[in-house]
Amino acid sequence: MSANIRPSGVFDVTYSQDISLNRTRTDKILSNGLFLVLLVIPLLAADGPLGLNIIPQAWIGLIVRIAIFVIAVQGLNILVGYTGQISLGHAAFVAVGAYSAAILARQLGFSFWAALPTAALFTGLVGLLFGLPSLRVKGFYLAMATLAAQFIIPWLIRYPLADLTNGSRPLEVPVPTLGPLSFAHESAFYYIAVPLSVFLMLAARNIIRTRVGRAFISIRDNDLAAELLGINVFAYKLQAFFLSALYAGVAGVLIAFNDNSLSLDKFTLGLSIEFLAMLVIGGAGFSLGPLFGVTFVNVLNQEIIPNRFIPALGGVLPQLLPFIDRINIISALSPLLFGLILVVFLILAPRGLAHHWEIFKIAWKIRPFSH
Amino acid sequence: MILATFIETHKRYFTAAAGILVLLLLLLWLGPIILEQRPARMIQSTITGLLVGGVYALIALGIVVINKASGVFNFAHGWMMLLGGLVFYTFFSSAGVSLLAAGALALLTVVMALSMAGWRALREPRNLLIGLVTTIVLTILMALPGQEWQYVRALAGAVTGAVLAGLAIERFTIRPLIGQPLFAMVLMTLAVSELLHGVTQLTWGSVELPLQVFAWIGDLGLPQPIRFDVRETLGGIIIIRTELLFAFALALVAFAAFVLFFQFTNVGLSMRGAAEDQRLAQTLGLRVRVMLAVAWAIAALLAMTAGVLQGGATSLSLNMPLLALLAFPAVLLGGLESIGGALVGGLIIGLVQEWANLLFPGTQAGTELAPYVVLMAVLVVRPDGLFGQKRIERI
Repeated sequence: MSANIRPSGVFDVTYSQDISLNRTRTDKILSNGLFLVLLVIPLLAADGPLGLNIIPQAWIGLIVRIAIFVIAVQGLNILVGYTGQISLGHAAFVAVGAYSAAILARQLGFSFWAALPTAALFTGLVGLLFGLPSLRVKGFYLAMATLAAQFIIPWLIRYPLADLTNGSRPLEVPVPTLGPLSFAHESAFYYIAVPLSVFLMLAARNIIRTRVGRAFISIRDNDLAAELLGINVFAYKLQAFFLSALYAGVAGVLIAFNDNSLSLDKFTLGLSIEFLAMLVIGGAGFSLGPLFGVTFVNVLNQEIIPNRFIPALGGVLPQLLPFIDRINIISALSPLLFGLILVVFLILAPRGLAHHWEIFKIAWKIRPFSH
Repeated sequence: MILATFIETHKRYFTAAAGILVLLLLLLWLGPIILEQRPARMIQSTITGLLVGGVYALIALGIVVINKASGVFNFAHGWMMLLGGLVFYTFFSSAGVSLLAAGALALLTVVMALSMAGWRALREPRNLLIGLVTTIVLTILMALPGQEWQYVRALAGAVTGAVLAGLAIERFTIRPLIGQPLFAMVLMTLAVSELLHGVTQLTWGSVELPLQVFAWIGDLGLPQPIRFDVRETLGGIIIIRTELLFAFALALVAFAAFVLFFQFTNVGLSMRGAAEDQRLAQTLGLRVRVMLAVAWAIAALLAMTAGVLQGGATSLSLNMPLLALLAFPAVLLGGLESIGGALVGGLIIGLVQEWANLLFPGTQAGTELAPYVVLMAVLVVRPDGLFGQKRIERI
């Protein structure tokens, strides 16, 4: 793997250095520094305690959203990127996490801190249930089973469980608190979402380096050969489903408590597809892939398309093509550009942004040589 | 130990016993609910289910055709349906299309069709002549003015548009991915569906458009809808909506036409050959690349037909792509490679839907849940479907 390429003269001298994630001092300073910068950002925004206006307040909401989505997509990455099982139902698992946390908090009076692990575990168990067909089917057939999950789970939430979930109507979720502290404001919630996201990213990276992670990768690369080598394919597939749903559950809980109001329209098949697209754009099978993909797609969707493309194209398109209505452009441009970008990535950069980041890192480390 | 060996050797009896047990439980659960229903309602649901299933069969056939030819599962089929229906609607409801627009559409389609296997084909005079004649004929057909020509105009426009869409999707999105893993292909069709979503939204907006292709039924003197008053014998009125009936009949005709095409024409037979084994077909001189493009064009035609029929039976709306997803349970139930299976699967899914709506009213159980429960059952019990091929794998 490319991760082992270092400038000449840099060697591991202890075992702890050999297994650590940050092997050189520069790595350590860079990663810790980045984390500190992330922690400082809300203090510099308009609503921060210092009252500075260096960073626009809109960024805080965007970063929280990115942090939550990174968790969900990292879950998908474990299942799709590392284990090679296609899932079209990830949004449904996120919905399970969100709704179970909301119900725990409303009906049983769980605090956010108790609801988070409980709901995540419950989602993991639901994920196990829908992973069961992987005993008999794989590839496209398994994708169909997860597609079924994407329709069955929201139906269960909407109709039989309507007493608990309010059916199609929005469900209020209480504000997370810790002693006297309240996390109602997005700048406060930032300090829950971002560290949790970083922690789960590191956890995923470590899982992949263990025996379990290597088993996942062998199943992805050739499941029959993996079985012949003595790997219990079914057990590891179930573990992948469990982990994936666990991550989805955590993301769901965070979505529930961040928005303070839940409705089923958020968790459609479209969201599942968006998760997959983010994963591919970022790079499936790279631990940093979800971060790149989620950031790219969210910045594009939340900032660039509404603020740049729509004003620019809104004037030009109706003049070029007379049959286009101005009103339709706003709702049409998002899927159109999204589809276009996905097509371009699938053809030109099927391994995603993370792959190119790796190439860049290697080129940087061995400079001034080209190979 | 002895028990384990006993179970292992008599596995098939245990499986059968488990199956019978599940069926019995299902019967115990559903039986009382079924017995509560009036017979007229049951007949009504059966008829409506079969009629609805006809269109599902047509959608399923389109998905099977692409899967057989190229091993791709087309999640964009629903949007291709809606696009075909909307193009048909545009030509159908306008008083006439400008000659320039029609000519451009025809020319683009002909160029795409001629260059299926490579741009070199455009240099041959014979091809150019054929292309020119086709372009002119299509342009004239599409640009025919007036109300009396609306069916011809709409059909020509929709066929041209569908072929163009199918060829373009194959050329620009599927062909560059040949040799890539299944995941990339699945995602590509999803990306195409997003693209088509954007295109339809941009051009037609998100309004619901009624497509009155079955307006002529009123002229035939048939009652609308057809009613059978069986209140004395079965306790109710059975209503058959004529639009649905005609859509069903036309869907079956289209289905039969495509099956005959695959069974008896040269192109159809070569396509089946190419689907069977691409490398072998290539050594025998079949042009596999052309076959792939043709398969996508045919699937687009099938999608367009289904879209027009469904639009005529109900209306053209953004629900249609979700409807096409219901054809996936039908495809898996019938077997991924089986054309006959698409028909049986489509009809069964239609039936299951209507019956679920009858037995569990007020929960959308039929439209949202039942097909996917069937899908899960198929995957667990018999992943190859009713008529699919068993797969044997090697490393």
